[in-house]
Amino acid sequence: MSARGKAPGRAPERAPGRALEGDGIGVDEAAVIARVRAGEAEAYAELVRAFTGMALRAAAALGAGADAEDVVQQSFFKAYCALGRFRDGSAFKPWLLSIVANETRNTVRSAARRRSVTVREAALTEPEPLIPESANPAVAALDRERRAALLSALDRLGEHHRLVVTYRYLLDMDEEETAQALGWPRGTVKSRLSRALRKLERLLPEGSAEREGGEGRG
Amino acid sequence: MAEPERERPGGELPDELRALGRALDRPESGETMVERVLAQIAAEGALVRRPGPRDRLRESARRLRRALRARRRALAASVCGLLAVLALTPPVRAAVVDWFDFGGVEVRYDPSPPPRSGGPPGCSGPSVSLARAARDAGLRPVVPRALGAPDGVTVTRAPRDRSLITLCWRAEGGGTVRLDEFPAPLDPGFSKLIKGDPEWVDLGGGAPALWFARPHRLEFWLREASGERWFRTVRAAGPTLLWTDGRLTLRLEGVPSKRRAMEVAKSAGPDGNAPRSAGVPEVKCDGGAEGPRPPVTGGRTCASEGARRGD
Repeated sequence: MSARGKAPGRAPERAPGRALEGDGIGVDEAAVIARVRAGEAEAYAELVRAFTGMALRAAAALGAGADAEDVVQQSFFKAYCALGRFRDGSAFKPWLLSIVANETRNTVRSAARRRSVTVREAALTEPEPLIPESANPAVAALDRERRAALLSALDRLGEHHRLVVTYRYLLDMDEEETAQALGWPRGTVKSRLSRALRKLERLLPEGSAEREGGEGRG
Repeated sequence: MAEPERERPGGELPDELRALGRALDRPESGETMVERVLAQIAAEGALVRRPGPRDRLRESARRLRRALRARRRALAASVCGLLAVLALTPPVRAAVVDWFDFGGVEVRYDPSPPPRSGGPPGCSGPSVSLARAARDAGLRPVVPRALGAPDGVTVTRAPRDRSLITLCWRAEGGGTVRLDEFPAPLDPGFSKLIKGDPEWVDLGGGAPALWFARPHRLEFWLREASGERWFRTVRAAGPTLLWTDGRLTLRLEGVPSKRRAMEVAKSAGPDGNAPRSAGVPEVKCDGGAEGPRPPVTGGRTCASEGARRGD
């Protein structure tokens, strides 16, 4: 009786129009990977569907800017080709993320970096039709300013620090996943993270969120 | 799990950073990406390398192509559709209870309070003759006999190099009656799945039609001034009748009475007959769903081309 039209997939977790909801929750990764390896290539759609939001966020956070979709497409493709080498029992997400990160790095050459920062900032200031209507516009504007400041501060961090903050917080991964995705020992993740946070704080125009915001221009 | 004491140096920074991450998200259901990735896999004949009998590979490639075709069919209508009728709960995103496609129109609905509609906008821009519209759009506009000669005719470029023809009439009360026409496939075997609002109506002649009695949100494509990319635009739409005639999808707005709207639709068929059923849709390779950017590799999804050429 459900009028699920011709939603092409059978995935019950499908949420039209929603980004990232789930991050793969609801997908039995191991089972899907086994099916793909057994030759059922179209089963890969489930993984793509489940992780697209996360991958796009990662590409955007790592500076892919307008290329994010292409980067993600390419990453999924590469992950597919490499699936034969995927280690059973490990998590798909950090693995995919490391591919996304590589791909982003390949796509966004250093020359393009500054541009990508602007693109990211523009993306943040772009009106977002779904959510902001409900928010107090003054508060929203302040948030945007603060976010732009955060982004540019992030950008001034060294590579390692920027990566660890991005993975751990922007992509909301736990320490274990971060360690896997970056290929670092957990201890390294921990120490770099705390140093990165301290640095970041110093780079920000003011201490923390509850500011009036007069100087968000960084 | 997180260890808060480790996060001490940042104070509230971690939360802010998480919010920043969320702010980078864009609405994306994943379907577009699925389409792109599967197309690339199929195009490059890539298969996960695992020792196995050859025919298993061949079988798998075949299945993939079949899945892709089905998906194309679905996406050609939904993602690349010219118009999407939305009745999403404003202002906060609510669970969209369901969705379906109708001749290139994506419909999602849920029981939310409808927006207020001030009636459809008229034909903006210079009006052209019907013959000129036919030439420009590459399709012959259907003119419902019940409405007579239109007061305005415009042709709008749409993604995938398609065209949208709009006919406008001034209604008695000073309002506008607007008829949008565009080519789009209609997915067969789909009609029985829907119930409730909107309502299926029968125009005779086998062509299904949908009546949206309540005002709703209408989302459609516009090209930004620089011509660089398309973006979705939203406006409130009043009661609307949606139907197909051959390979055209028609969308009538500004006629608030269902009966009258059906009369108009019926009078649009050839020689005053009911509109023809679309039958099996023609799914051309124009159904890619991505934006105007071309895909990275040889996974040539035709979509990008149309979008890029479109003026």
